[in-house]
Amino acid sequence: MVPRLRIVRALGLVTIQDLGRRGWMHAAVPPGGALVRGALRAANRLAGAAEGAAAIEVCGVLRVRADGGAVVVGTPAARVELRDGDELDVASGAATRATYLAVRGGVDAPVVMGSRGGRVVRAGEIVASGEAYGDGDRDRDRDRDRDRDRDRGAIRVVLGPDDDAFATTAVATLLQASYRIRPDSDRVGTRLAGSPLARIAGYVETPRPLVRGALEVPGDGLPIVLGPEHPTTGGYPVIAVVIDDDLDRLFAAPVTATIRFAVV
Amino acid sequence: MTAPAWRRLGDRAVRFARPPGVGARAIVRAARAWPGVVDVVVAMGDVAVYFDAPVATVDGARIAGLAQLGDDGEPAREVELRAVYDGADLDELSRELGVDVAAIHATGAYRVESMGFQPGFAYLVGLDARIAAPRLATPRARVPAGAIGIAGELTGVYPAESPGGWRLIGRVVDAPMLGDAGPRLELGDRVRFVR
Repeated sequence: MVPRLRIVRALGLVTIQDLGRRGWMHAAVPPGGALVRGALRAANRLAGAAEGAAAIEVCGVLRVRADGGAVVVGTPAARVELRDGDELDVASGAATRATYLAVRGGVDAPVVMGSRGGRVVRAGEIVASGEAYGDGDRDRDRDRDRDRDRDRGAIRVVLGPDDDAFATTAVATLLQASYRIRPDSDRVGTRLAGSPLARIAGYVETPRPLVRGALEVPGDGLPIVLGPEHPTTGGYPVIAVVIDDDLDRLFAAPVTATIRFAVV
Repeated sequence: MTAPAWRRLGDRAVRFARPPGVGARAIVRAARAWPGVVDVVVAMGDVAVYFDAPVATVDGARIAGLAQLGDDGEPAREVELRAVYDGADLDELSRELGVDVAAIHATGAYRVESMGFQPGFAYLVGLDARIAAPRLATPRARVPAGAIGIAGELTGVYPAESPGGWRLIGRVVDAPMLGDAGPRLELGDRVRFVR
């Protein structure tokens, strides 16, 4: 029988995620996928699943129980062998906004538009493992993820493209001020609290293409960093975009963290 | 000839002005053939091209080349959406504009010129100017899936329940706008609403 996990408890936002999809943004379908991709990869590696296999993303609290046999699972930090009936708690919180529970062989979920991700996991259901087995540790990726996480410096951005929408002081404010992650952040956007970024009067909002990591700035001046479920177009001007390599650090930052930005 | 202006949109994408008179599908097909390109978004006035690795620059000649494309090579799909005109704003809008909004909307021929906003949402051009109407001043917290809306000179169908500010005139009743296989509408489609 395939290894199975019974979901005993799921609080907050607990979903199945993989590394998302490519090639659907022209149809307004965002990439989706794990909020913190390196943490998903790490959990999969430790569980013995393919790096990009689907796993359970936990923005909240999860308790699982091995159901009908032993199950090998992984978190971003540890491999755990559950015997039949053993329970395990996984929670995000003080250290990270999102953590992962991977299972040997990957979580079995149907592929929708190129991704197994997206479904919300609820208490009482069964999550089965699939057939996406990892080929052992891939040192290059492991080292890359570790180096990236070790960096505690500023989050690096590319400025623009909507510079003309902002007062001349706005970029200096962005690069000098510090920001905090607001608790109403989600997989669509990470909302920041801190110094507002002043827009020019009369800026006309027209829907323009967006990207994961874009700092879009609504009328209140407080930036929203677009996450994996971002709309593919939007009218708020984008003052800067976080580089891909620094997105995991930003999205993993807990609400207590202080965020600073620097030009790459 | 000067190279068209483009801007970086982060370290893995660029954004530039949409070349006028070129079909959205043709832009997507051409740009996806560039080396390293994984995605393309065509908005009403802009195009963004997304790469699978960091890019610091893009060949301006490629962007200029998009303006030389004709319309789409292959014929557009013809899509009929079965509609019931009973939207929350229909009566008020008809009174406000002094015309039968449903009748005019149902006789229109539309074309998908852009997709965005939410998965599978298609911006349809071709709305009769007599039924163009501004968005609601205060967006609704919940617009049901399948709702047909008008915003300015655009119309469209909400694929999923969401907040929204378009004036609601009806709903598509025969099939969901977003299924597991993908969105029902694609860039370039010619669309009619059938009562």
